Amino acid sequence: MKLLTLPERLGLVSYRNQAKSEIKPHIKVDTDICNSTCPHHCTTYVCPAKCYTKDEQGKVHFQVEDCIECGTCMYACDQGAVSWEFPDPEIGRGVTWNFG
Amino acid sequence: MDEKFDCIIVGAGVAGLAAAMTLAKNNMKFLLIEKGEFPGSKNVSGGVLWGSDLNKLVPNYWEEEDGGWDRFINHRRLTFMDEQSSFSVDFKSSHFNEPPYTGVVVLRSKFDKWLAGKVEEAIAESDFAMDSFVAPNILVEEVLEEDGKVVGIRTGEDKFYADSVILAEGVNNLLTRQVGLQDKYVPADHMLTGVKEIIRFDQDVLENRFQLYGRSGMSNEFVGHATNGVEGGGFLYTNKDTVSIGLVLGLKDLREKEQTPYDILNHFKKHPAVADMIRGGEVVEYSAHVVSSGDKRVMPEKLYKAGLMVCGEAANLLMNAGKAIQGMDYAMRSGILAAEAITKAKEKEDYSEASMKSYQDALEDSYVMKDINNFQDAVHLLHDPFMVDKMPNLICDFGRNFFSIKNEPTKKARNMFSDSVKKHASYWDLVKIGAKGAKAL
Repeated sequence: MKLLTLPERLGLVSYRNQAKSEIKPHIKVDTDICNSTCPHHCTTYVCPAKCYTKDEQGKVHFQVEDCIECGTCMYACDQGAVSWEFPDPEIGRGVTWNFG
Repeated sequence: MDEKFDCIIVGAGVAGLAAAMTLAKNNMKFLLIEKGEFPGSKNVSGGVLWGSDLNKLVPNYWEEEDGGWDRFINHRRLTFMDEQSSFSVDFKSSHFNEPPYTGVVVLRSKFDKWLAGKVEEAIAESDFAMDSFVAPNILVEEVLEEDGKVVGIRTGEDKFYADSVILAEGVNNLLTRQVGLQDKYVPADHMLTGVKEIIRFDQDVLENRFQLYGRSGMSNEFVGHATNGVEGGGFLYTNKDTVSIGLVLGLKDLREKEQTPYDILNHFKKHPAVADMIRGGEVVEYSAHVVSSGDKRVMPEKLYKAGLMVCGEAANLLMNAGKAIQGMDYAMRSGILAAEAITKAKEKEDYSEASMKSYQDALEDSYVMKDINNFQDAVHLLHDPFMVDKMPNLICDFGRNFFSIKNEPTKKARNMFSDSVKKHASYWDLVKIGAKGAKAL
C-alpha cells in the first residue's frame, strides 16, 4: 500500500479550535537554549508531528499547531528548553481522536 | 455544585472510568473531570485490554450488540523479523472463544466514551443521581492542598472541593509532578514513544485475511527489523473493520540514533510480511503517544498522600515483559482499588495519608505490582540491544535455512542453528542472554 508522508498523516488528525486564528500555545520552547548550548537538537527528529524544525542556518524553530499532545518532547529534551502543559479546551489547540 | 464531593477524579481514561464506576456502585458522590471534548477523545492505546476485569465493571458486556470494544483475542502471534523474513510463534485456541474473554481490542475514542456512558447509567442508579457528574471539556490546572492535605482542584477561576482526589491523568502526569509524587523532569531513559496508524478495510476482506470469525481477533507483536535498530517493537491488532498498526520506540535510543518515529513506521510497513497484511487498506488516522516501559526505576514510588491517590499510567503502571503489552488492565485494576480504598476511607471518615496508603498496599498485593516486581528482569532483557537485532537476525537466518529445500544433502537442524549463531552472534552472546532469560522467566 502507499506509504503516507507526515503532512498526509497529520491531515487525518482532527484538531480542536481549528477555526480560531488566535490560540494559546500549550507548549513553550526556549529556542535560545536549542540554538546556543544544546548538543543534539533531538526534538527536530524525535517529534512525531515535526513541530520542531531546523532552518537553513541550522536554527531550531517550534510551532504548536500540529502538536498531537503525545509528550515526546517533554522527555526527549534534556536541556530544559521545553515547558509542556495541556491545551486549554476553549482557547488551546490539541487533538480530538476519532479512533484513538 | 457548591457542595463537597467524596472524590474528584482527574481524567476519564480507563483508570478514571474504572474508579468512577466503582464509586458510583458504592453510592459515593463524585466528580469525574476530563479535559477532552468527551471521554476518550484524547486517549490513545495500542491496544488490547487484557484480562477480565471489564466484566466486573460492566457485567456481561459482550451481550451488547454494539459495545465499546472491537474484537476479542483468540489468536496471538509473536514475530521476529530481519530485513526479508519473519519467523513467528503463533498460538490460536478456541479455548479463548467463550466469555468472559481474556483480552479485547479497543479503540479508545470509542471504548472510553462507551464506558463513560455506563458510568452515567451507574450514577443514575446511585443515591447521587443528581449530584455526581462526568464533566468533559475541563482542564484541571492545580491540585489544592490545605494543611498538608489535598482538598480539591482548581480549573481556571473555579475551585471544586472533595475529601479525596484521584489522579488518573495519564503518563504525562503534570499534576502528579505538581504534588511532588513524580520528579518535575522525567528523563527519556525508560520512556517510549508509540506511533500508530488505523488502517481501514472492507470488513469481509479483513476477516478473510486474518481468518477471523464473528468477533474474534488477532494480536501480533513484532521484534527486530520492525524498529530499524531502535529499541522497542511493533504491534498489529485487528479491530472490527480496521487494524491498529504501530511501534513503540525507546525514546533515549531514538535520540541517540537520530531516528524519526514516522519514518520508522513506514520502514515497518514496507517489510514484506507486514506489507502483505495491510495491502489495500486505507489509513484513516495517525496518532502518537508516550508510554512508560514498566521499568521500576522511573515509576513514582509513592502513589498517595493525604487525600490523594495516583492510578493508571499516571503511576506508570504499564509493562511489556514479552508476553503482552499490559497497561489498560493495570489502569482498570488500580482505579477499582483506589475507589475501594476511598469508599473505606469514607466509612471511617479518615482520608489521612495512612488511610490512603491502603490503596498502595492493595495494589502491591494485586497481580499488578506482583507482576511488575516479578518481571523487572524480563523488562530489562527486552530492552537489551541483543534483542533488537542479533536475536531476530539469528532466528530468521535459522528459519530460512531450515525451511529451504534445496535438493542437496540437508544439515541437521542443530548444525544449521550453530551456523546461524556464528553468523549473527556468538555462543557467548547466547549464554549471556540465556542466563538473563532464565532469570527473567
